[in-house]
Amino acid sequence: MADTMELRDIEVWDGNMAAAQALRQVQVDVVAAYPITPSTPIVEGYATYKANGYVDGEFVMVESEHAAMSGCIGAAAAGGRVATATSSQGFALMVETLYSASGMRLPIILNVVNRAIGAPLNVNGDHSDMYMGRDSGWIQLDAYNPQHAYDLNFIAFKVAEDHDVRLPAMVHQDGFMTSHTAQGVHTLTDEAAYGFVGEFQPMNDMLDLDHPVTHGVQTEEDWHFEHKARQQHALMTAVIPKIEAAFAEFEKLSGRKYNLVETHQMEDAEMAVICMGTSVETAMEVVDELRAQGIKAGVVGIRVFRPWPLEQLAEVLKNVKAIGTLDRSSPHGTVGMLYNEIAGTLFNCDTKAVLNNYIYGLGGRDLTKAHVVGIFNDLKANVDAGKLTTPLQQYIGLRGPKLSFF
Amino acid sequence: MEKAGWDGFEIGAMLRTFDGAIQNIATTLPEDRAYSQSSSFTASVADWRIEKPLFNKDYCIDCQFCWVFCPDMSIISRDKKMIGIDFDHCKGCGICVEVCPTNPKSLLMFPEQKDEESALVEWPKKVKKEKEDEVGEE
Amino acid sequence: MSEIKKIKNLKEFSTSADRFEGANLLCPGCAHSIIVREVLNATNDDLILAASTGCLEVCTAVYPYTSWDASWIHIGFENGSTAVAGAEAMYKALKTKGRLKQPDRVPKFVAFGGDGATYDIGFQWISGCFERGHNMMYVCLDNEVYANTGGQRSSSTPIGASATTTPAGSVSYGEKKNKKDMVAIMAAHGAPYVAQVAPNKWKDMVAKIQKGFAAEGPVFINAMSACTTEWKFAPEDTIAISDLATDSLVFPLYEIINGTELNITYRPKNIIPVRDYLGAQGRFKHLFKKEYSYLIDEWQTRVDAKWEQLQRREEARV
Repeated sequence: MADTMELRDIEVWDGNMAAAQALRQVQVDVVAAYPITPSTPIVEGYATYKANGYVDGEFVMVESEHAAMSGCIGAAAAGGRVATATSSQGFALMVETLYSASGMRLPIILNVVNRAIGAPLNVNGDHSDMYMGRDSGWIQLDAYNPQHAYDLNFIAFKVAEDHDVRLPAMVHQDGFMTSHTAQGVHTLTDEAAYGFVGEFQPMNDMLDLDHPVTHGVQTEEDWHFEHKARQQHALMTAVIPKIEAAFAEFEKLSGRKYNLVETHQMEDAEMAVICMGTSVETAMEVVDELRAQGIKAGVVGIRVFRPWPLEQLAEVLKNVKAIGTLDRSSPHGTVGMLYNEIAGTLFNCDTKAVLNNYIYGLGGRDLTKAHVVGIFNDLKANVDAGKLTTPLQQYIGLRGPKLSFF
Repeated sequence: MEKAGWDGFEIGAMLRTFDGAIQNIATTLPEDRAYSQSSSFTASVADWRIEKPLFNKDYCIDCQFCWVFCPDMSIISRDKKMIGIDFDHCKGCGICVEVCPTNPKSLLMFPEQKDEESALVEWPKKVKKEKEDEVGEE
Repeated sequence: MSEIKKIKNLKEFSTSADRFEGANLLCPGCAHSIIVREVLNATNDDLILAASTGCLEVCTAVYPYTSWDASWIHIGFENGSTAVAGAEAMYKALKTKGRLKQPDRVPKFVAFGGDGATYDIGFQWISGCFERGHNMMYVCLDNEVYANTGGQRSSSTPIGASATTTPAGSVSYGEKKNKKDMVAIMAAHGAPYVAQVAPNKWKDMVAKIQKGFAAEGPVFINAMSACTTEWKFAPEDTIAISDLATDSLVFPLYEIINGTELNITYRPKNIIPVRDYLGAQGRFKHLFKKEYSYLIDEWQTRVDAKWEQLQRREEARV
């Protein structure tokens, strides 16, 4: 039996420590992992807890990220609680197996500490890896700070392992900006944290020797479509209600409230920026300052990236006149993902909002408050003109001549 | 299995081999197993065959070479005796005939439509030793 | 440690209840199936199985059918080893935590892969599993070719074989590279038990599988799998071709214990010429042209040298 750890009500943790503590508190059975900056401390944390008797699961230090997720899949199919962490190139190497995990309906939790993808090589935070995962069939939750990274892990286990869901889930946090920035984190006791997620309930487990199962079959044109449809049906219909229920239960337990779509000053906002990760908190500060000047600005943060909260976003944005979508990933050949998703979300609504797109922060480049003020100046001009007054896609925080497209 | 709609099967394309629980599978013979409709045991590859092996127990010495080398679990042996061929799963490869050491062979290939009775009537007799190698070719 | 199944002779072996089912989609005469049967029937213990993508995998779990009577998993081409290693890690975790559903039963963990999955694309994954010391058996179904994708060369394809990516042609005798010595590489991992087996020598094979199951740690089995489709011989000749392979010493049968102790387990009474083995297969047909006769001589020299090396290692016990 693993030892419990006495935590202070508020610990000073960075995002990696917060995630590692969450993995300890839910007593993950198997962690198969491979180190990569900036996510490494999460699995080092689990290894350290094991070395000191705080967890009694298995830590399997494999030889690549592909093997890490392969081992996680084997372990999850065997029947138990499984988690790992990765970033960037490692995430890219895992991609093949991400599709296997979701297709086989195995509730693995992957902490993704978001980082740029080379070339050129870069260890800092942007959202390229998170975006790469968006068609892989996983639930994707986004943390903006270490507290979220801690809390969202509990939500992820609870939802993913639910027998009505049985889908893997990623908890995203920004590389370095969250993962290595220590902040006060309100903790749960070991007992409360484990109690919230609950004992792992096996399903279709290989280790049930009385009920042999075959996992990972081949399906061709006569079956594949139906299986993929069933997977999509679960992701589209079962997950959102389960996340909402988990958020509500978590609020009762911790007093901390999460939403599918996070909003700040949106009640009467004329203009809004939509972004993810640490940028949400930067934008919130700017909006508070603009509000003091009488400018009706607001912020929308994506909390649940997959499944995409289309209806909730449409509702939040229905009265906004200008929207700036901020993508921290190079879209390479088109507009940013958030622009595309928001355009798709609003297309059949009555909105006449003017929509534009900003590419920012690649490879860990700072997004400053001045940048966000500049974006709101653009949005104000669009509100006043009732049409786009700037190029559709603009790069911000980039050296050299101004770069924009469309 | 019928071709079910998208909501008509287990999640993750998972298949169960048996209906209900099974213990001691390694010592439970096929006839005592509750195979589910997902087990290929319930399917047939009989239509793969052009020729089929037929068995003449008069010459069989129960050496079990045919059993151990059959790639398709189609030699039925019970209590250390060869008792027949599983024609649902036999693909007609002919290995059993090749490895049969008796003279004449206890297993021979015949056209798929051949009936067992007339095959047994036509079964070749013991041949002289120097020609033994050619028996299988008849 | 569970009891080792008693298999004195073939009659006794034939009382086994197969845990691998017919109406799978393997070719008529496929040796893969014979090998799988000999492996699975070597024990009465519970089994947790994995397979890498390849002939065995695509022919035994095509929805809505499975040919497996034990739990089985497939993820991809490269990671059958790691899939079963992950399951083994979960078994250990649940054992520690007292959450096994049948705590008195100790399953064996076995992964199967072809030579493509083993010698090539899955090499790193297997090496990782062996270095970490998982309690598992990895069985390579070595048919010396990417048979599932239609006959491309792998690093197990021997010199002179015609494969679709190294075809014999007017100016080429086919594959130019010597077969990778995977058995030696796996033994170099310090694995407790490594062996080369062939399905025609069923007793040798079953004895080795049982030794492997009794070992603590990762076990590597390289199983020669004569491929009727890609080696180009008639389906009924699978065992005869296998006999030519083992009796010509093209596939010598031996084991290596703890990376050092090598034992030759089969010494043919009459060693037959390599030429006879090559001549029985369509993939080597072109070697019998006059201009390539030197290649057959070289083949014989290589096989003799390997046999000599194995005997010396056996004698030296290093």
